[in-house]
Amino acid sequence: MLNIRTVTVIGVTGTMGANIAGIFASFGNAKVYCLGRDLEKVRKTIPRIVQSVRADAIAKNLIPADFSMLETCVAESDLVFESAREDMAVKKEIAARVGRVLQPHAISGTGSSGLSITEIAECYPAEKRGRFFGIHLFNPPYMLPLCELTGTKYTEPGTKASLKAYLRDKLIRVVVEVRDSPAFMANRIGFQFINEALRCADQYRDNGGIDYIDALLGPFTGRAMAPLMTSDFVGLDIHLAIVDNLYENTRDYARETFLLPGFAQGLIDTGRLGRKSGGGLYQQVKYENGFRRLTVYDIKSGLYRDVIPYVFPFADKMKRCLQEGDYAEAFRHLVNNSSQEAEICLSFLLKYILYSLYVAREVGDSTGAADDVMAMGFNWCPPLALYEALSTAADVPALIRDRLPEIWEASDAAALLSDIPPSQYDYRRYFKSGRLTK
Amino acid sequence: MNRVFMLGGAQTDFERNWKKEGKGMVAMLKEAVADGLSDAGLSFEDIRALNRENRVACFVGNFIAEKYTEQGHLGAFLTEVDPAFYGVPSARYEAACASSSAAIDAAATKIRAADYDLALVVGWELMKTVDSSVGADYLGRAAYYRKEAQGIEMPFPKLFGKLADETLRKYPALDEKRYMEDLARISCLNYANAKRNPRAQTRKWFMNLDQANSRGTATNPLVGGRLAVSDCSQVTDGAAVVVLASERFVRERNLSGKPVIRGYGHRVAPLLFEKKMDEGKASPWLLPWTRQTALDAYRRSGLTVEDIDVFEVHDCFTSSEYAAFSALGLTEPGEEYRAVESGLIDFNGKKPVNPSGGLIGCGHPVGASGARMLLDLYRQVTGTAGGYQVPGARNGMMLNIGGTATTNYVFILGR
Repeated sequence: MLNIRTVTVIGVTGTMGANIAGIFASFGNAKVYCLGRDLEKVRKTIPRIVQSVRADAIAKNLIPADFSMLETCVAESDLVFESAREDMAVKKEIAARVGRVLQPHAISGTGSSGLSITEIAECYPAEKRGRFFGIHLFNPPYMLPLCELTGTKYTEPGTKASLKAYLRDKLIRVVVEVRDSPAFMANRIGFQFINEALRCADQYRDNGGIDYIDALLGPFTGRAMAPLMTSDFVGLDIHLAIVDNLYENTRDYARETFLLPGFAQGLIDTGRLGRKSGGGLYQQVKYENGFRRLTVYDIKSGLYRDVIPYVFPFADKMKRCLQEGDYAEAFRHLVNNSSQEAEICLSFLLKYILYSLYVAREVGDSTGAADDVMAMGFNWCPPLALYEALSTAADVPALIRDRLPEIWEASDAAALLSDIPPSQYDYRRYFKSGRLTK
Repeated sequence: MNRVFMLGGAQTDFERNWKKEGKGMVAMLKEAVADGLSDAGLSFEDIRALNRENRVACFVGNFIAEKYTEQGHLGAFLTEVDPAFYGVPSARYEAACASSSAAIDAAATKIRAADYDLALVVGWELMKTVDSSVGADYLGRAAYYRKEAQGIEMPFPKLFGKLADETLRKYPALDEKRYMEDLARISCLNYANAKRNPRAQTRKWFMNLDQANSRGTATNPLVGGRLAVSDCSQVTDGAAVVVLASERFVRERNLSGKPVIRGYGHRVAPLLFEKKMDEGKASPWLLPWTRQTALDAYRRSGLTVEDIDVFEVHDCFTSSEYAAFSALGLTEPGEEYRAVESGLIDFNGKKPVNPSGGLIGCGHPVGASGARMLLDLYRQVTGTAGGYQVPGARNGMMLNIGGTATTNYVFILGR
């Protein structure tokens, strides 16, 4: 096992930087130099780091530092983790500075969620590139243990193997090795789904748009939070950065689905990014008496209005079945219902299975990797488990061929579906009824 | 007397919050029962066939669903799981946190008496239906509620805090600091073990010795006298199913390698904590009736502590696990610290305790815990515990208590 006693986390005042510092200081039991641009802000971040792993005992491991101390901290560190802004120029500059003073035995990594790891590696001196990795964690890492580990053509295989063991056994991460590719695996699959949902909201703006689509793809379809609610939570700016990267740099059959619809660009242009900016796709209205009202952006009118409490017969039946633990019956209600809503819902789930298999083949080392990333990084029912779930009610390949003939061809679905391994995940916990009468 | 075989079982993932999933007891029972039968190599059709000859019965363990889910008559709920249970004899057994041990006891008795050939034991509790202070008040009913719990915030942590006080009073040679640090080690060991258990509630949580010793901080507040949150088991939703069978059934089906319940003990100590301590004054053991329960199990099985390879004990609090070491014979009374400090009970020690993570690490859905312990012993002695397998385990022992070690149950499962 790697002996990582001292770590520097650069960019610790950001949400991810802070949370990652918490993981190194707790599970890793490392002394962590918490480095940010503004020392005062870093000091104020320390309690947040402690809270992120619910452990006062780690406070003594957290040492505030600013950029003027970067060289000193790095020179003392066994591992340096850069979690700066998602901006190639910024990351390159930091890599160059780190590379100059990094100890020969030390490992360095970036938390980038999609920039080229190889390009950043090349800012390091040649002899240190082999020990630089993409180490992509998910927010909040205390709840979502996924870690996407990316090497480059310079990678020392032995170092990668020992880093993987450290991340898995010491930091208690679920480590998935992914190729240096746009947005890696989890975000590519997840944001394909989310952005297509956003485009679908635009397409069905006369039916209600955003809340209409979320009502079709909510917790009863195998996730904790509906997809557009998730985008609102993450922020449309981050959403855009991920899908732009995918649109520019991928060439697969789903490429067009990474285009952001115009209304969403409009929201970004007017600063309405989501929850963090006080409103975006949704807007929470707070009253003085503490009452909260959830409103949603109505694409058609361009105004916020109350969320519509949609009742779709197929969804209602599914939820009632899930509440009673009758999963197969719930899925039969989905596959045997020919309403527009049931068909939209099912097509999303089928496309998700296919695209996951496709991406796993392209950037992962096994089909099971797609399951790991979606369960452990998004808390969504992972694709192989979803395949099993739907198989209780229908012949899934036949269903895909029947409902999505174009994608069947384009994705080479016959090959993707020819050898589906059993899932290591239990699909049942992911399908939530969203209602409970005591 | 007929031997009682164990065919398998299942446990729900204790990480799950069923209220957040919008699912209730019927959904949980459906999953647990289907998984348990399947693990035992049985189907609902088997239940139907056996029931035609009145050869199968169900035993439900649950502490207090009347409070948590406003529901009684729990034995009847298997009929909601599947029509195969129509007509199958079934009733609910209650003994606080030892409820499913009482159900196992009843099931084993019926099989020994050759009344039935197959027994399905289902222990369960849904505890996240209410907030923690309301839940703690409900659990107060495992003590003498009116005298020991009513109107008291967090009654059980306080009672087991008193057990810690009594430990120090009884064994004056035991240094207080040493004792508290050993309790912290017990906590850490359970959290660390839970990391290997894919069904443990705390498998993603952080705990280390520093944190467990940082009692009285914001993230580890004191909850019962000298005990802090890190000394407590969890509030858990969960079910555990255990399938027991007669020798005749095992022979009929040509099953081999199935372990048997080799011995049991069941003793009830004075209900009131003060009376319990008064009565035990003359004994070298802090909990003499817990000790007697273990002795009964050893006597009935013809085994000694030397023969036991793995233990699952009732760490509802670190102070109760500490007291269990001498009760089970792992150390002399008053020298329980040896079990902790020597590494004896570590996962890689000579006598691993709670490889599952126990109630602190794996979780404690109170009515399910006894069945969960027996299931974990089954996994250990059949070599099917996966990542938390104790190599070569042949015999396992469990201690499940209700209230303040009032109801005591010990079972030994082995090959």
